[in-house]
Parts: sequence; structure tokens; C-alpha cells
Amino acid sequence: MAHCDDCEQMMQPYLDGMLSDEEVAEARAHLKACPWCERRFKFEEKLRHFVAVAVAATEPMSDALRIRLSELRSSQT
Amino acid sequence: MSDISPDATDARRIAEVERDRVRFEEEALELSDQVYRVARRMVNSREEAEDLVQDTYARAFRAWQQYQSGTNLRAWLLRILTNLNIDRGRKAQRSPDSQPLEEGDYFLYNKLEETLPDENPDEERVIERLSQNVVVEALAEVPHDFRDAVVLVDIGEFSYADAAQILDIPVGTVMSRLHRGRRILKASLAEKAVA
Ligand SMILES: [Zn+2]
Repeated sequence: MAHCDDCEQMMQPYLDGMLSDEEVAEARAHLKACPWCERRFKFEEKLRHFVAVAVAATEPMSDALRIRLSELRSSQT
Repeated sequence: MSDISPDATDARRIAEVERDRVRFEEEALELSDQVYRVARRMVNSREEAEDLVQDTYARAFRAWQQYQSGTNLRAWLLRILTNLNIDRGRKAQRSPDSQPLEEGDYFLYNKLEETLPDENPDEERVIERLSQNVVVEALAEVPHDFRDAVVLVDIGEFSYADAAQILDIPVGTVMSRLHRGRRILKASLAEKAVA
């Protein structure tokens, strides 16, 4: 049975799908028995999404750049 | 004997190349928002990001025939962008001495949880302690090499293999930089959100 420390070590590779079947089983068994770690895993998943959304919503490409890029085309019609 | 003259064959070939070029340019431009989003997080200012994206498209439109149709065009564009960024001497910007202390993967959660009055709060309430601005600021503080891996995989949604190709490093290095970069990001988020 894994300890919380081992579970913490497995979190990133677990969420990335990089663990062996055996390790996945070990992590799942621990998470089932340990809501403390389970909350931290759920948080990590949501955090990744939150970071991606936060960054995407900040400073979109300017219209000026969009125009400059289309002017680079060889075939402006 | 064919009744198509050599001139007509040439003309047709030229027209085909021209059509391919137009299609390439259209497809590349459709990806510009996504390319800019990644570029903006790889450099430190909006101005730098705009210059870099513009130079990337200028080079891509010149070298379009080197792109293999059917492969990942977004990755191809970002590979050009990464090379241009390195050419601009971005290595000089690195500050390996000022890397923040690396904390464990539960560190951020533990820190945020401490700021809430209730015991064992729902993870949803914990994440609400973070704001959009804090995320953007914290990401900017992650050293380049680690940040690039996080930006490509977690924000650009590239596979490890594509990220490895874009950055011209082995897949194993992408994974270790990503792992470390996420930890540095979380340590930085903890510092900002709790301050
Ligand atoms: Zn546990």
C-alpha cells in the first residue's frame, strides 16, 4: 500500500498517463482509501485546465498583427 | 503522341504550385491565434511576441515548400518560431541562479488550503483562491527552458513528441522539464496567491 508521499510522487505521471498498469493500480488503491490525496489529484487536474484557460483569455493577438501577417502573403487579392 | 504542348503542361504545373501555396498560406494564417498564444508565453513582452510571430510567418511563407503536407503545420510553425527565438540570443536571458526553490507537487494545494477557514475544503473552493492574473504572472517567472515545455504541452496541447521536435530536444527531456516546470509554476503560484 502506497503512502501519501509515494502518491504525491505518482501524481504528475499518473495524470499524464505515464505509469505502468501496476503503478496505476497502486495509485488508485491509495486514492480510494485516502480522500486527502484524492482532493489533491482532482485539484491538479483542474489547475491544469485553469492555467490553460487563464492564459488563453489574456492578451489575444492584436488586429494590427493579424493584418501584418495577411500582408505577408504572396498572393494578396 | 500527346496533344498537350510542353507549354501547356508547364502552365498547368505553375498553376498547381500557386494553388498549393495559397492553400498553405490560408492554413497557416488560420493557426496564427494559436501560434501567437504560445509565442506570447515564451517571451516576456507582447511586442517581442508580435515581432517573433511576424518573422515566423515571413520565413514560413518563403520556405512553404519545405512543409510536408499532412504533417502537423502548427508544430512546423512553432519549430520555426523557436529557432528564430534562439537566433535572437534568447539564451542570454536565462538566469539559472535565480530559480525558485522546488517544492513537492502538493505544495500549492497545502498553501491555498491554509488560507481557507474550513477543514478539508472542496478542491473547487481551493482553486478559486487563484486569479487569472496571478497565473499569467507566475508563468512568466518560470525559467525559459521549463516554461517552454509547460507552454507547449499544457497550453498548446502538443504531444511530448511534437514538443520534442519543436524544441529540438529528446522526449525524455521534455518530460523532465515539464515535470519540473509545473512544480516551479506551482511554487510561484503559492507565493503570489498567499502573499
Ligand atoms: Zn494519501
